[in-house]
Amino acid sequence: MSTISTTQAISDSALDKPRTGTWDGGNEPFKASYGKLMMWFFLLSDAFTFAAFLTTYGLIRHRHGVYEGTPEAFKFSTNYWPIPEKVFDAFPGLHGTHLPLGFVALMTMILIFSSVTMVLAVEAGHRFDKKDVQKWLLWTILFGATFLSCQAWEWTHFITGTEAGTVMNDGTVFHGANLAMNQYGPVLFADLFFFITGFHGTHVFSGVCLLVWAFIATTNGTFEKRGHYEMVEKIGLYWHFVDLVWVFVFTFFYLV
Amino acid sequence: MAQHATHDTVPTGEIPKPNTAWIWRTFWIISAITALEFVIAYLMPASTFRNSIFIILTIFKAFFIVAEFMHLKHETKGLIWSILIPMALLIWLLVALITEGSYIGEAVQNLIS
Repeated sequence: MSTISTTQAISDSALDKPRTGTWDGGNEPFKASYGKLMMWFFLLSDAFTFAAFLTTYGLIRHRHGVYEGTPEAFKFSTNYWPIPEKVFDAFPGLHGTHLPLGFVALMTMILIFSSVTMVLAVEAGHRFDKKDVQKWLLWTILFGATFLSCQAWEWTHFITGTEAGTVMNDGTVFHGANLAMNQYGPVLFADLFFFITGFHGTHVFSGVCLLVWAFIATTNGTFEKRGHYEMVEKIGLYWHFVDLVWVFVFTFFYLV
Repeated sequence: MAQHATHDTVPTGEIPKPNTAWIWRTFWIISAITALEFVIAYLMPASTFRNSIFIILTIFKAFFIVAEFMHLKHETKGLIWSILIPMALLIWLLVALITEGSYIGEAVQNLIS
């Protein structure tokens, strides 16, 4: 009996030794933890998905006709691609006012601000300031949810359309948009709007779910017991990526 | 992570003061670029030149988000390159598809007329 327990003790102490060699897992590639590295590579692949969407937008837009007249005389037509600021010019509560890109500007600022509160949460995690982590996570959840509500309003407005509508090629008047028909321009314009902003919105929604979970875990002291707030950092990476994608969607869908 | 790793010490009860000046500086830079984009969108007539300004400003914004907020600037060189080099493929994809789009557009228009 005694011999067995001695060998047991030796192997136990061997396990406790820190791993130092390259091949026994002692090195961290790029000096980043496994989780953070995998989050980076996931985001890289996700960037390719979004880039595919945006380059598809470019391809499809360029193969459609271009509006030739002055911006003031612009009218919706299925014959050419619409000018984005003529489509997205509405603001909640200000019916009938022409505010090109006003609401999108607000949404952009909300998302940038949520990114700031997210970094503040990560920073508080480095200092093991549980109260601050909770506070900034709550702000981020709030801004994320506000962004999603704004998007819901924008979608509703886009689908409902304007009062005047547009006379389609068959002579009927059509209001708003669906996947097969829209008053703003070629069919694919509305399709790309739904797919690109929808895919981004789904990402924001997943982010908000992750943040709610992180808030609960912070409150329960899970990260404090673990000895680090790396999970908040990883969710932060994801959240900033969502903000980053919006910056590109904003340029390629609304500005250009 | 090198910069932040130094802050990661076992909690001792005393919470250090927040160090947030760099976060707010980055925020103001990104906000200023966004504001500039709107000024250009309102004051300048649409053209290829305007679009290139928008794209350059967007890349500036992306740089600040990735480098500061996502902390990539402070990671090792290997990690920085393994993220940036695949991104270079996207530039090729962008140029290729937009050129193809113009070509298809012209071909369709010539077919109609």
